[in-house]
Amino acid sequence: MPLSPSSSRSRSRSRLTFVALLALAACRGGEAAHRRTLVDARDRYDPKSLDPALSTDVPTGRAVSYLFDGLTRFSPDAKVGPALATRWDVSPDGRTYLFHLRPGVRFHDGTLLHASDVVHSFTRVLDPTNKSGRPWPLYPIAGARTFAAGKATAVSGLAAVDDSTVRITLDTALAIFPKLLAMPVASVVPPKIAADFGEHPIGTGPWTLVAWQHDDYVLLARNSEYFGGAPKLDSLMIRIIPEPSTAVAEFESGNVDLLYVPEADAPRWEQTDEKKALLTSAPALRLWYVALNTTRGPLKDVRVRQALNHAVDVRTILDKLLGGRGRLAAGVIPPTLEGADTSRAPYAYDPAAAKRLLAAAGYAKGFDVELWLPQDPAFRRVAESIQSYLAAVGVRAKIVQRESAAAREAARNGQTDMIVKDWYADYPDAENFLYPLLHGANRGVGGNVSFYENPTFDRIVSLARTDPDSATRAALYRQADSLAFADAPMIYLFFYNELYAVQPWVKGFIAPTIFNGQKFTDVTITAH
Amino acid sequence: MGALLVRRALLAIPTLAGVVVVAFLLLYVAPGDPVLEMVGERADSATIARLRAELHLDESLPRQFVHYAGGVVRGDLGRSFITGRPIARDIAERFPKTLELAGTAMLLAIVVGVSLGVLSARHPGGWIDRGALAIAYVGVSFPVYWVGLLLILLFAVVLHWLPPSGYGRPEFLILPALALGSRSIAFLARMTRSSMLEVLSSDFVRTARAKGAREKAVLMHHALRNALVPVISVLGLDFGSYLTGSILTETVFSWPGIGRYVVNAIGRRDLPAIQGTVLFLSVVFVAVNVITDLAYAAADPRIAYD
Repeated sequence: MPLSPSSSRSRSRSRLTFVALLALAACRGGEAAHRRTLVDARDRYDPKSLDPALSTDVPTGRAVSYLFDGLTRFSPDAKVGPALATRWDVSPDGRTYLFHLRPGVRFHDGTLLHASDVVHSFTRVLDPTNKSGRPWPLYPIAGARTFAAGKATAVSGLAAVDDSTVRITLDTALAIFPKLLAMPVASVVPPKIAADFGEHPIGTGPWTLVAWQHDDYVLLARNSEYFGGAPKLDSLMIRIIPEPSTAVAEFESGNVDLLYVPEADAPRWEQTDEKKALLTSAPALRLWYVALNTTRGPLKDVRVRQALNHAVDVRTILDKLLGGRGRLAAGVIPPTLEGADTSRAPYAYDPAAAKRLLAAAGYAKGFDVELWLPQDPAFRRVAESIQSYLAAVGVRAKIVQRESAAAREAARNGQTDMIVKDWYADYPDAENFLYPLLHGANRGVGGNVSFYENPTFDRIVSLARTDPDSATRAALYRQADSLAFADAPMIYLFFYNELYAVQPWVKGFIAPTIFNGQKFTDVTITAH
Repeated sequence: MGALLVRRALLAIPTLAGVVVVAFLLLYVAPGDPVLEMVGERADSATIARLRAELHLDESLPRQFVHYAGGVVRGDLGRSFITGRPIARDIAERFPKTLELAGTAMLLAIVVGVSLGVLSARHPGGWIDRGALAIAYVGVSFPVYWVGLLLILLFAVVLHWLPPSGYGRPEFLILPALALGSRSIAFLARMTRSSMLEVLSSDFVRTARAKGAREKAVLMHHALRNALVPVISVLGLDFGSYLTGSILTETVFSWPGIGRYVVNAIGRRDLPAIQGTVLFLSVVFVAVNVITDLAYAAADPRIAYD
C-alpha cells in the first residue's frame, strides 16, 4: 500500500497531544492537521545545545532564538527593535543604558520575568565555569572581562534597579550595544538552571520545546502566551538533514516546507521555471572573499594585492557558478547597511592592469602562491576559477583544500597565503564587518586572517564604534572601508543573496537578512 | 566454548589498550583545534586560553593522556567539548539506531544474498545465475551513497512509496537498509554460489544423491551447511563494519546513528567524543569477531579452538 508522502509530518504529529491525535484520526490522512506544522529543513547539523550560553553557530543560534528572547531582537529585514525591553534610555555620555522590561512576561514554566534574571543571564554567559565560547558580545559591559577572567565575584556594570529596570554600564560608549543584545547568546534565561538545561530549555520565546531527537529533529510547539502574539502555526519542526540532495528530495516529495538551496545548486534551480517560482531570497549580510595574508611573501606588496583583484572576473563567477543573485563587493560593508558606499566601483576585471601592477611590483614573471579553502563544493568551484584567472596573469596558485577545522586553524595561525572565505554577520552593522575582518586587534583568532594592520583604519573604526551619532558613524565607516579597499587586503568577491525554496502553501515567510531574524510567528500554511 | 570466550576477552584487552593510545595520539597529530571549533568564527584569545585551561588542553601530552586513560578505566568517557553532554549517553542514544539499521541490512543480505547464491549454484549458467550475477555486479560496483540517492529518487520522489529520509516507523528503515545491504547482498550471493558449487562437487554430496536423497535435502542439509563457513566470515566482517561505520548511509538517509555522530565529532574536533566512540566501536568490533568465531564452530563442528 502506498504510504502517505507526508509521513515525516505524521511522525511529528505522533509527538503531539492526544487531542491532536484524535483530531488527526478524525480527518483520516491528516490533510487539515498537517497544515499546522511547518517543517524547516535548512539545518545540516544538530544544534550544539539549546542553552543560549553555548550558541556559537547558526543552527544553535536559530533554535535558541525560537525558544528565548533577548532585551532586543532583529526583524527579518535586520532592524533592531524591542523584545523583552520595551524601550531603553541612553545617558548623554553613551555609557549607561536603562532597559525597561515589558511587564508580565512569563517563562514557559510560568515564572514571571524579573530584571534580576537579565543580570543573572548575562553573568552566566561570562562565568568561565560555564564554558561559553562566545562571551565577547557582553564584554563591553563594565567589569565583564575582569569577571570572566575570574578576578571579580560579580559584573560591576550590571544592576537590576527594580523588578522591571536593568541598568547596564559600559566601559566606553558603544552605539551598537543594543544590536549585540539581540544575539542568541544574550538571551534571558530563568533564575533556576537545571544541569540539563541545554536539553530542556525554558525561555520566554514564541516556541516551546516538545522533543529533541539528536541528529533527527527538534519539535517546537507554539507558546500561546507569547507577548509578541502567539505563532499562527501549532508547531515548528526543525529537521536535521545532512545531505543536500536528500533535503531536496524531501522538499520535492512535499515533506518539508522550507529549504536552503545549496550555493552549488543555485544555477540549476534558477534555470527551471517551476522551481524558480518557489525561490525567495534576501540580500543576506554575507560577504564572500579571498583573504590575502598581507604579511606573507609577494602579498606584502599592495600593488600585488590590487593586481589580484583586477585579475579575477568576479561578475562571471557570481553569474555562472552561483546563479547570479548577489552584488559585487566594493568594500566589506554590505550595500544595505549604513556606511556602505554604493557609489564606490568594484575593482574592474582588467588582466592588463593586473599584469602592469605585478610588473611594477617586480613580479613580471608572476609568482607561486597557495590558495586555501575549506571543504565545500561551491567554494571549490570558486577557487578553481580564481586559480585559472590568476594563471592568466602569471600567478601560479596551488589549491590547498582542507576540511574546515584544519583550514580555519591554518588561516588563524597565519599559515595561509590566500584563503576563500565567507563572513556572515552576527548583527546588522558595518562594524560587524570592518572590526572583525580588518581591525588590527582581531588579527588571527579574532577573524582578521588577512593580518591587515593599518593604524589609521584602526583609529577610524574605533572612533566610529563609540560615536553616538549614526550619521557621523556612517561617514567614518565609509572612510575606513574606502581606506582598506585601496589597500586590498582581500580579493573582494560579492555579497551573496541566500536562496530559499519555499513550498507554495507557506504564506508570510520573509527570507531573513540575518540568521536569527525570522521567528516564524507570522507564517501560516494554507490548504493544499 | 567458555574457555574460548575467556581467552578471547583477555586477548581483547591489549587490543583495546592499543586503540586508546592510538586514538589519543592520532588526534593530536591531526590539524585542527577543538577550542577554535567551540568558539565559532569570531573569538578572543582570553576566552580561548580560558577554555583550553578548563579542558586541560594546556597540560603536557602525557598528563592529558593519564587524565583521559584514568577516566576510561573508571568507565567514564567524559563529556563532549562541544555540547557538554556525557559521551556515554550520546552513544547509548545512537548506537541502538545503528544496530537497527545494520541488523536489518544484514538480515536482508542473508535472506536475499544466500538465497540468490543457492539458487544460482543449483543451475550454474541458468537464467537465475545470470540474473544474480548482474545484480551482484551492480551491488558491488555502485558506491553506497549513489545507490542511496537512486533509491530515494525512485521510491520516495517518483513513486511516493516510502519516506526519503529520517528515523521512526519501520518504513523509514527499508531504503537505508537496502542501500547499506546492497554490497553484502552482492558479495554473499557470489560467495555462497562458489562455495556451494565446490561443496556440491564433493564426494559426500554424490553419496547423498546416490542414496536417493531429494535434491532439496541435498542442497539445504548437506551442501549449504558445509558451504556456510566462508559465508559466515564475510557476514561477520560486514556486520562489524556496518555497526562501526555506516557513515555514508546514515548521512544520505538522515539516520541519527553512531556513524553521523562520529563524523560530526571529527568535523568539530570534539576529542572526547571521537576517542570515546572509537573505543566503544572497537569493543563492538572485537565482540562481533568473537561471535563470528563461535558461529564457525557451530556451523562446522570440525572447527575446534584449543
